[in-house]
Amino acid sequence: MVRALRSRYRISIGLPAVFLAAALFMVFLSYALPRLLPGDFVTAMYASSNVTLSEEQEAALRSYYTSQETFREYLMRWIRLDWGYSYAYMTPVSSLFFEALPWTLLLLGSANLLSLTLGFFLGVEAAWRWDSRGGKWLVGWMTLFEGMPEMVTGVLLLLIFALHLGWFPAAGAETAYADLSFFKRVADVGHHLALPLLTLVVAYVPGNFLLTRNSMMIFLRSPFTTTARAKGLSARRVRYAHVARNALLPLVTRFGLRVSFMVTGALVVERIHAYPGLGTLLFNAIQARDLPVIQGVVLMSSLMVLAVILCLETVYRILDPRIGYAS
Amino acid sequence: MRPNFMRDVFRDPWFMAGLGLAILFAVVAALGPTLSPYDPRDMRFAPISPPSSEHLLGVNDGGQDIFSELLYAVKNTVAFGLWTASLGLLAGVIIGVSAGWIGGWVDLVLMRIADVLLAVPSIMVLIFTAALFRPPPLLLATILAALSWPTTSKGIRAQTLSLKQALHLRAVSRMGAGNFYIIRRHLIPEMFPLYLVGFAAKARMAMFMEASLAFLGLFDPGRKSLGMMISYALKYYYMDIWWNWLMPPILCLSMLIGSVTFLAISLEKALDPRLRESIGGQGA
Repeated sequence: MVRALRSRYRISIGLPAVFLAAALFMVFLSYALPRLLPGDFVTAMYASSNVTLSEEQEAALRSYYTSQETFREYLMRWIRLDWGYSYAYMTPVSSLFFEALPWTLLLLGSANLLSLTLGFFLGVEAAWRWDSRGGKWLVGWMTLFEGMPEMVTGVLLLLIFALHLGWFPAAGAETAYADLSFFKRVADVGHHLALPLLTLVVAYVPGNFLLTRNSMMIFLRSPFTTTARAKGLSARRVRYAHVARNALLPLVTRFGLRVSFMVTGALVVERIHAYPGLGTLLFNAIQARDLPVIQGVVLMSSLMVLAVILCLETVYRILDPRIGYAS
Repeated sequence: MRPNFMRDVFRDPWFMAGLGLAILFAVVAALGPTLSPYDPRDMRFAPISPPSSEHLLGVNDGGQDIFSELLYAVKNTVAFGLWTASLGLLAGVIIGVSAGWIGGWVDLVLMRIADVLLAVPSIMVLIFTAALFRPPPLLLATILAALSWPTTSKGIRAQTLSLKQALHLRAVSRMGAGNFYIIRRHLIPEMFPLYLVGFAAKARMAMFMEASLAFLGLFDPGRKSLGMMISYALKYYYMDIWWNWLMPPILCLSMLIGSVTFLAISLEKALDPRLRESIGGQGA
């Protein structure tokens, strides 16, 4: 008991320190990079356009867009949730960000929930039936799908189901200006969500499946499984209550390691299906070279990624006490 | 590792499929520039023309030959992946072996740096750097490698720690061999199959990133890339261009990522004998 508590205590110092360092690294990068750059925003913004600026105009713009903040001021400004103003929209970055965030959370949340459950159960069943035709067939297809990036699945689904068959809308997260009752609105949002969601599920399930199956294959042969079977437990009990519980741990780790990759996937998928989340916001900001928005989206999404990984790490260490002693 | 490692791997159909595709892409990437009929940046053709005998895949919106674009794009993506994977793997192996073998404060410092880098979302660093100053692709690949060594080095370190107990290494050490000699002559060669898995996994991740960054328009538009071709073609989805303009880069990208994925999955399977389904049988 005391040892368990102590190991948990050690976690609570070491882990947050690592994540604080990572977070500070990101904040510092977003502060320092724009200031270290050769060339500046004003030149970049007008370099590719036909607009020619006079000396005074350029100087005025430059003084407007170049800030003299110290790192401390910058940090304090972000902590106060003052993220500056978008150059392109002239609105606060935070309002743009919080308009886009719910859509991304909806998409990523449902995609992860679905693909974790699906990957886990399919993996458990496929491992249990490793010798049957169905089990092998599933492994083959999952390996094939693991080789397909989101970009490929997304474009294919868009071409087939939205543009050719017309079953799903090709863009947006809900019908614009439609004054719908609550249930109709939910159905409408779901209809728009279907294709991007399916893209992400196809992308995430195979990895979860293969990992669950691999760890199941290992645990199925361990002594504790034999014991459980010898006790005369039902096959389903052995599979889920005994073996699959252990296979859950690697799945949690993998999820943590992949959180930052999921962000890329979501950015690309949002752009393909023109879904109005953070990916689309970032894409438009990059096109317009809207520095405060790029800064806001990149910094806040990385902080969110860090928070998620930190939570998962803590969960993982509580689930598996061996980790605490190893380090 | 296991003596029949290579034999197992060559019996796996997924490995052979991955290897076949990888060789195909290696040839295309190496010969691409000489095979391409036109300069991919040449803009003098009639924009958005359908395929013909002169333009195998037609012409894009900027009046450039799509087939030549494709050859250069494959070369660029492959080069990005190989460079990142080689550099990241090299750093990961050296750091992992040194941390594991030397131990003490070297281990402590290196592994704390690794922890922090593991937590930093590398894609965000790349997006930010690329959005701000459009660095040359090679520099982006180097940054990605610098951020991605920890995954390899953690695994290599763990393996080194278990090798440290091996009799022959204790013997060599007692006979007075120096750290550098042991690392170079014993530790690094002994973990060879692990590098193959690490290399394939890193190459996959890097090509994936390259395609995503290009798709988001973060590379110089003059540099041809599969992700950028897809992004441009998608703007004209309402025209009848999907089979000659949108499909070729999509197919290339999925075969490219598929090839490294199949290699990584089958190598991993061959490395872990516990995953082999029946005694004496081949892995599924």
